[in-house]
Amino acid sequence: MTYTSILYLSIFLPGVMLLYQLAPGRHRYKVLLAASWLFFLSLSGKLIVYLLISTASVHHIGLWLSSCKKELDLTGASAEEKKSLKAACALKRRRILWLGLGIQLGMLVVLKYSGFFSDNINHLLKAVSYPNQLPAMKFALPIGISFYTLQAVSYLADVYYEKIPADDHLGRLALYLTFFPILMEGPICRYSQTANALTEGKPLEYKNVTYGLQRILWGLFKKLIIADRLNLLVETVFGSYKQYGGIVVILSALLYTFQLYADFSGCIDMTIGTGEVFGITIPENFRQPFFSKSPSEFWRRWHITLGTWLKDYVFYPISLTAPIKKFGKNSRAKLGKHVGQVVASAPALFGVWICNGFWHGTGWHYLFFGMYYFVLILLENLSEPYVIKAAESLRINRNNVFYRIFQSVKLLIIVFTGELFFRAETMTAGLSMFQSIFTGFDTKALTDGSLLQLGLSLPDYAAVFLGFLAVLTVGIIHERGISIRDKISGYKIPVRWTLYYGAILLVIVLGAYGDGYLPAKLIYAGF
Amino acid sequence: MQDLLLQPTSLIFFIQKGDKHMNKLLEILNEINPEIDYETETRLIDDALLDSFSILSLIPELEDAFDISITPADMIPVNFNSANAIWSMINRLKED
Repeated sequence: MTYTSILYLSIFLPGVMLLYQLAPGRHRYKVLLAASWLFFLSLSGKLIVYLLISTASVHHIGLWLSSCKKELDLTGASAEEKKSLKAACALKRRRILWLGLGIQLGMLVVLKYSGFFSDNINHLLKAVSYPNQLPAMKFALPIGISFYTLQAVSYLADVYYEKIPADDHLGRLALYLTFFPILMEGPICRYSQTANALTEGKPLEYKNVTYGLQRILWGLFKKLIIADRLNLLVETVFGSYKQYGGIVVILSALLYTFQLYADFSGCIDMTIGTGEVFGITIPENFRQPFFSKSPSEFWRRWHITLGTWLKDYVFYPISLTAPIKKFGKNSRAKLGKHVGQVVASAPALFGVWICNGFWHGTGWHYLFFGMYYFVLILLENLSEPYVIKAAESLRINRNNVFYRIFQSVKLLIIVFTGELFFRAETMTAGLSMFQSIFTGFDTKALTDGSLLQLGLSLPDYAAVFLGFLAVLTVGIIHERGISIRDKISGYKIPVRWTLYYGAILLVIVLGAYGDGYLPAKLIYAGF
Repeated sequence: MQDLLLQPTSLIFFIQKGDKHMNKLLEILNEINPEIDYETETRLIDDALLDSFSILSLIPELEDAFDISITPADMIPVNFNSANAIWSMINRLKED
């Protein structure tokens, strides 16, 4: 059962809505929690034990962190004693935090990465002709572990830094970690964003339900009409990459990027829409990323919740350690203000991008993907004042439409290249595909019918193009700050319902499912 | 009067401005970016007048000048959006 399955859309979600509405307000969160665990069980079965360990440990350690601070009694103590008591308390809390992080991240690392590490150690042992090998270590991954672990870590860190109080309500914490719409692909929510709303038990309201269902429908449009259809071409080319080169590889990188966006943002639309149905505001994860002008802006608009999580729990903690602050001061003194500032941020930025790469998966191509953006963003920041100066001396207006087009094209090439390596089966496959763009470049593929041998027929291309135009139009409208749903709700009932039925019909008729289409998983659910 | 006190260019700011510690803060801020009018600006972060590089340069300077320790929890826009906000954060951290 996934968010696009008939079972989910026709039975599970309506059933949860009905039970939620029938339940008394204070018990409604129990309906959501039971539904979330049922959803988890349907996807990962007995692996729910990992989730339960995570939930129980986060709950206990949060309370421990809090009680440790409350027990600090400074009455009657001298200034010196106060200082030493505070230091002892801080040390104890730091140890508790590390224990909590160790449990959460330990489970993630063992379950997700031990196979990668054992494989690579075995390669190394073989290379040095060592006779013994480590046993293959592959574990089944519980659904959503990469997402709920980051939520658990943010909760513990926020309690530690006293941004939020520790929650003694086990049910609320459990629901915060596993609310079924966010379970498969996030977004990565903070406790302060969703926890209270999840247990508030608001009744279903007409506006919330209609707005939520509209958003779910838009997500289904992106996922079923665009992403799942493009999956055919992407699987064909990336699965047998040695057979293709030149324009076909360029097209597949471009279409994979569009597939990934339609798949992931479509899923997030369904997630946010489901939250809206229950009156719960789930944070946005995308803000028209392809309208960005630079790689750093792109990452402020793409998978926003992962970016802000990495900023708050990796970038700042690394930046504020004593050695890095000292390194920063020295860099600024020796290299000057601008270069020094950028160089000073490099260690923390490196931490962010190595985590970003590894978070997505265990292949070397994911690590390359992280390092690719690390280098690009570092270069972008280093060169910024020089680019401005060069533009001024060449009298180029940086707000000029041609300059903006140049920036957009440059960014799209960067993004497509990154996604080529990201989607490739291995690092070797990625390099081979990238190389084949230049060695096998031939415009014949555009006219000899090769593009129709990649799994997509002409009507499929037409449906994708129609979907692309719809996504582009909605993106432009959103970029201008206009809410389409507010506009729709202003129309008269017959117009409104014609639009709804038209959209449902479009998804049913043009959706890529049934004979001839591959069952397409949600891409980010695999990370 | 209450509204006046909530304004960024409030009386409080001008009273503090004469304070030698507040002057020290303005001096540090001017060193980071002299083109900003810190007496009136209230959206230093929201309008990206100070980027994350500038903030990271600012932190060790503030810690050394005011003998405070800034943690990742303090790294939120509301603490850095104006000279007044930074000053409030410094005072709060001094009390801790």
